[in-house]
Amino acid sequence: MALKDIKVKIEATKRMHTVTRAMEAVSAVKMRKTQQAAFDGRPYARAALSILARLSGTHDIGRHALSNVREVKKTALVVITSDKGLAGALNSGVVKRAAERAQAGDAIYAYGKKGYEYFSRRGYDVKKYVENKRDDVPLSVMEELARELSDGFMRGEYDEVVVAYSNFQSTFEQSPTLRTLLPLSIENVRALVEDIRPAKGKWSDNTDVAAPASYETESVGNDILDFLVPRLAAVSLYHMLLESKASEHSARMVAMKSASDKSKEVARDLTRVYNKIRQAAITREVSEIVGGREVLAI
Amino acid sequence: MAKTFHLTIARVGETVFDGEALSVHLPGAEGGFTVLAHHEAFVSELKEGEAKVETAEGEKRTVPIAHGGIAEVSGNQATVLL
Repeated sequence: MALKDIKVKIEATKRMHTVTRAMEAVSAVKMRKTQQAAFDGRPYARAALSILARLSGTHDIGRHALSNVREVKKTALVVITSDKGLAGALNSGVVKRAAERAQAGDAIYAYGKKGYEYFSRRGYDVKKYVENKRDDVPLSVMEELARELSDGFMRGEYDEVVVAYSNFQSTFEQSPTLRTLLPLSIENVRALVEDIRPAKGKWSDNTDVAAPASYETESVGNDILDFLVPRLAAVSLYHMLLESKASEHSARMVAMKSASDKSKEVARDLTRVYNKIRQAAITREVSEIVGGREVLAI
Repeated sequence: MAKTFHLTIARVGETVFDGEALSVHLPGAEGGFTVLAHHEAFVSELKEGEAKVETAEGEKRTVPIAHGGIAEVSGNQATVLL
């Protein structure tokens, strides 16, 4: 390689390094924010679940329209991915899990561009596509989506609603997860809440308060469930989104960190090659001059 | 010493109150009610209004309830989800 080409390549690598390092820093900040949001939301989900679990002693949750288990003919698949790439294997993992589950004729709800691109290109029936740009998504957005899914479920359009998302475990570990949202069952929500249980600290204990034998209810039995069950569906969905967000930024930060490290390494190696070639050229020139002089001296 | 109970008031993404309380007054769907220590097991829907909390230290606090919620009391602890 010519000396000039190497120099151009070194410059390019260094520029790339600045970009990846900047993205790493940005992702680190966003990661902290989204992780905090994911942690902050956990007590609510836990409390809502334990109320539902305790209510199940006195109220038949299975009778609620959103908990109605029936034979699965058609599934609605919600795919939560990011809009942007450069986040390692994050999106491909989620899309892969979703694609394994999806069958022809299933309705796809794509939350995030990556999932949308995958499923629309393969001719799936994409019912809805929502951009996943903002980090501070209000609960109302998820409530709307949950309502749409619940309505479809109650009308019998879908017999099951499954969500594919990325479960945040730690900065270095995110696992693509499939979870059944509807029919809503205590087991499903409990599995979700257990996944989001922090490893230590106040909410890490998993002790359930014993359910009282009977509850005094202020309104007719079903009304409480009418409030709690759709709310729990929306909150579950919201949680999955928060987990995905935290995963996205963590994955991107890690990916950008390794990209920065690699570009630094490449720049160093190239500089070494550059210096070697330059030195070889100088040595050659010097020996040519010395040789020339010796010829003249004779 | 006055009897207290454990009260948790949580909003999605935020825990508003979490600690010992002497009493809490809540706007139930069918009329306001006050929860004291060792209240019987009880579930109620809440309508808009505000929750009036008296903490174990005797401090009075109000928490606005914008879109209703749910209150659950059992085993000397109360949970309010907004």
